Amino acid sequence: MATKPNTYELTYIVNAVLSEEQLKEVVGRVQRHIESLGGETLSTNEWGTRRLAYPIRKKRNGYYVNLYFRAGGEIIARLERLLEIDDDILRYLTLKYDAKMLRHFEKYKGEIPRTRAAEAQAAAPAPAKEEDEEE
Amino acid sequence: MADFNNSQNRDARPNRDSRGGGDNDQQTNRADLMTVEYLDYKDVETLKRFINEQGKILPRRITGAPAKFQRQLTRAVKRARLLAMLPFVADNVR
Repeated sequence: MATKPNTYELTYIVNAVLSEEQLKEVVGRVQRHIESLGGETLSTNEWGTRRLAYPIRKKRNGYYVNLYFRAGGEIIARLERLLEIDDDILRYLTLKYDAKMLRHFEKYKGEIPRTRAAEAQAAAPAPAKEEDEEE
Repeated sequence: MADFNNSQNRDARPNRDSRGGGDNDQQTNRADLMTVEYLDYKDVETLKRFINEQGKILPRRITGAPAKFQRQLTRAVKRARLLAMLPFVADNVR
């Protein structure tokens, strides 16, 4: 449409009390929302059920879904409204990706961040540490 | 107000590089942090190293993190909190 497309990241938390089929349905529903608004999904990553750091709507667990899509900026408000209305979605966060974030995204594409932290810890200490710590 | 340009003051301040990343072996390298281009809110393990057990973000005074990194950290922690990946207030103090 009018504006040129940006890359966005959307993470949302689905009520984990739902059954497997219901969860699938919610994920599909969000997917359809994005497409019907003219967005194009790049990748979807379901993190699965995780314990929430604090209760949201009395729930202690949530099913996390993280996805990237390209779309014009004008659809974001409408998408967020749909997510807000959806009773199965506890929380969502939409981020517009700038050049730095895109570079970061290219580097770690599709990787589950939890594993990356562990990897970095395992890989980094040896070469990097000794160089700069003058003690 | 303190005179920050006072050379005596300056000498009295601890050397930035000597300030560690908190306790134990989680010592974080200042030079490493300087190269961080984007700190991802999804990288909870990294974020956890910069918050205390109450869930508060540690000040630069303690961690010795560069200003640029600290700004990214603040943003990332707040995003992670919104998505309940980190607590606003840790359970043990609530």
